[in-house]
Amino acid sequence: MNSSISRDPSHDSSYVDDALYARLVALATDWQSRSVIKRDERPINEIAADCTALINAEVRFADSLELESWIACYAPECIYWIPASYGGGDPRQEITHEIHDRRRLEDRIARIRTGFAYSMVPPVRTTHVLGNFEMWSLEAKEVRARANFIIDAVNNDRRRVLSGWIGYSLVDVDHQWRIAVKQINLIDADQPQGNNSFFL
Amino acid sequence: MTRTPKGAELEDKSFCWDDRVQPGRVHRSLYVDREVFDLEQRRIFGATWIYLAHESELAESDTFVARRLGPRPIIVTRDHKGMLHALINRCTHRGAAVCRATAGKARYFTCGYHGWTFSNDGACVDIPLDDAYGPAFEKRDRNLGRVPFLATYRGFIFGTLNPKKGEQPLTDHLGPAADRIDEWIAHNGGDHTKIRVAGAQRFLVNGNWKCIYDNAGDGYHPEYSHQSLLRMTQERHGEGMDLDYFAGGIDATPMYSQALGNGHTFIDQRPCMFESSVFDRQRPQPGREAVAAELIRDVGEQRAKAQLETVPGAGMNLSIFPSLLFIGNQFQVITPLAVDRTDLSWFATSRDDMPSGVNTLRLRTQEDFPMFGEVDDNANFESCFDGMAVPEMEWVDISRHLHTGVEKVDEAGVVTAPVSSDLHMRSYYKEWKRLMSSEPELVLG
Ligand code: FES
Ligand SMILES: [Fe+2]
Repeated sequence: MNSSISRDPSHDSSYVDDALYARLVALATDWQSRSVIKRDERPINEIAADCTALINAEVRFADSLELESWIACYAPECIYWIPASYGGGDPRQEITHEIHDRRRLEDRIARIRTGFAYSMVPPVRTTHVLGNFEMWSLEAKEVRARANFIIDAVNNDRRRVLSGWIGYSLVDVDHQWRIAVKQINLIDADQPQGNNSFFL
Repeated sequence: MTRTPKGAELEDKSFCWDDRVQPGRVHRSLYVDREVFDLEQRRIFGATWIYLAHESELAESDTFVARRLGPRPIIVTRDHKGMLHALINRCTHRGAAVCRATAGKARYFTCGYHGWTFSNDGACVDIPLDDAYGPAFEKRDRNLGRVPFLATYRGFIFGTLNPKKGEQPLTDHLGPAADRIDEWIAHNGGDHTKIRVAGAQRFLVNGNWKCIYDNAGDGYHPEYSHQSLLRMTQERHGEGMDLDYFAGGIDATPMYSQALGNGHTFIDQRPCMFESSVFDRQRPQPGREAVAAELIRDVGEQRAKAQLETVPGAGMNLSIFPSLLFIGNQFQVITPLAVDRTDLSWFATSRDDMPSGVNTLRLRTQEDFPMFGEVDDNANFESCFDGMAVPEMEWVDISRHLHTGVEKVDEAGVVTAPVSSDLHMRSYYKEWKRLMSSEPELVLG
């Protein structure tokens, strides 16, 4: 991803190109296959603390529906990805539940904000619980992470539990850690899903 | 109050549905009664041609996909000779599933319980310790159950258990809907062998399957149910984009609704959708800029434009009763799981005759509507289903444009009505009633 932004990614998604997709597939492989994190691959404590705080804040803002603060956790050029097959696949070749660039993420927020998004009337209440954090850093301005998640979701009298694991690529944007890629792997990604109009 | 019919009464051949399927309304019991649902599994899902799988999912020999035919778990296979089969995924010993994967490659299926083994054409090929079954025992009597009638139209594989239906050509059943499938394929390059399923987005809807089917030809709802999508698009991307033509006075537009016979229906959005460049008017999808730039560089502006015009969708809502719905570049399959639970799967498609960038953008487009539009529809379907629980309010209205005298019938019997008409529901309920009024002799081959 190009960190020098020439265009406004809220309205122009030139950064979503073949090279980005190739990087997403490589990231997914890394998140899934890294079994041991070597000592020298661990981020220093201060960075690890910043990154953990970012990851926790992002789901807290999703739960509280503070969606402007939520999207501020993301890098300007970002990807939010929920594969429809377990483990990810290549989004150039197969459909996903959702894969958004910043522009379409902002569309998604704006849709909920109209007040006429009936799947969010009343807003689905969620509680995210994250755990089993693992972090590694292969280059100076990127930290990768994995976490398991449970989301308890309530829509009036309907209650559901979603779970799985998340892969993160976090980047340093002007000395602030931001989410460049979040891949949400539902444990039942290939099974029929309920109303997931909130942010996972 | 219309009395809810009970088991034996429903089964009776002389039972008449006229009390429950009336010209402008249908009774709530058709949606909420478990006994009606059970009957539908034989009289509808057993008795007519049902879409099972797409040939591209079984492109190689010895491949399979797991599906359902009503409540019957089936495996659609292609054997090593290239022949298609639809087998009942139920061991002929005591009933266990012989295949527990959803898709893959296999020449044989071995039951996990006592090891009976079946080849992918359904033949029972091995029974451990089979000398204990007596001299008259024959393995061939223990072949897997099979859907005896299979037929394919332009890559879409259908099956039925009903000899009366199966002995007639599938094209007779599709009728004028076959021409509409051809038009959908023409939009997608014209060669159906180049259209490939590229995964599925699956939804679980807590409601009766007909709550979803009702919507498939409902041209009335977009302005309201999809209001959030229309408003957001206007606010963020300006006027005249995407589905904007659904806003305000849709019956004055050149869009129309049609009943094609045998319960199949059609809504044509093309007159509005392709009025000017649909790609130029598409709400921008991820990667649009890079794909368009690369395409113009590789094939020139004119060809690039033509290829990009196919990305947003076909502008056709074609519903093949009771469970196959063409929408955009996708097709949906409705699988009833229980009276109050339905699997709604959106199968995405890619094209082998398109550059990879076009297919990528096509996928980004196909996953857009389910997350920005379908979620609201699903919420409304579930809400309708909840409302049908009120015993004292018995009726579901299907009377739009019933009394306005604007329907037109052509020589082929195709009925055309304004796009907001309830023609779709009236027409499929006519077929529903016809099918539900007789008990077919279903067979397993
Ligand atoms: S149930 Fe299949 S072998 Fe016994
Ligand atoms: Fe809709």
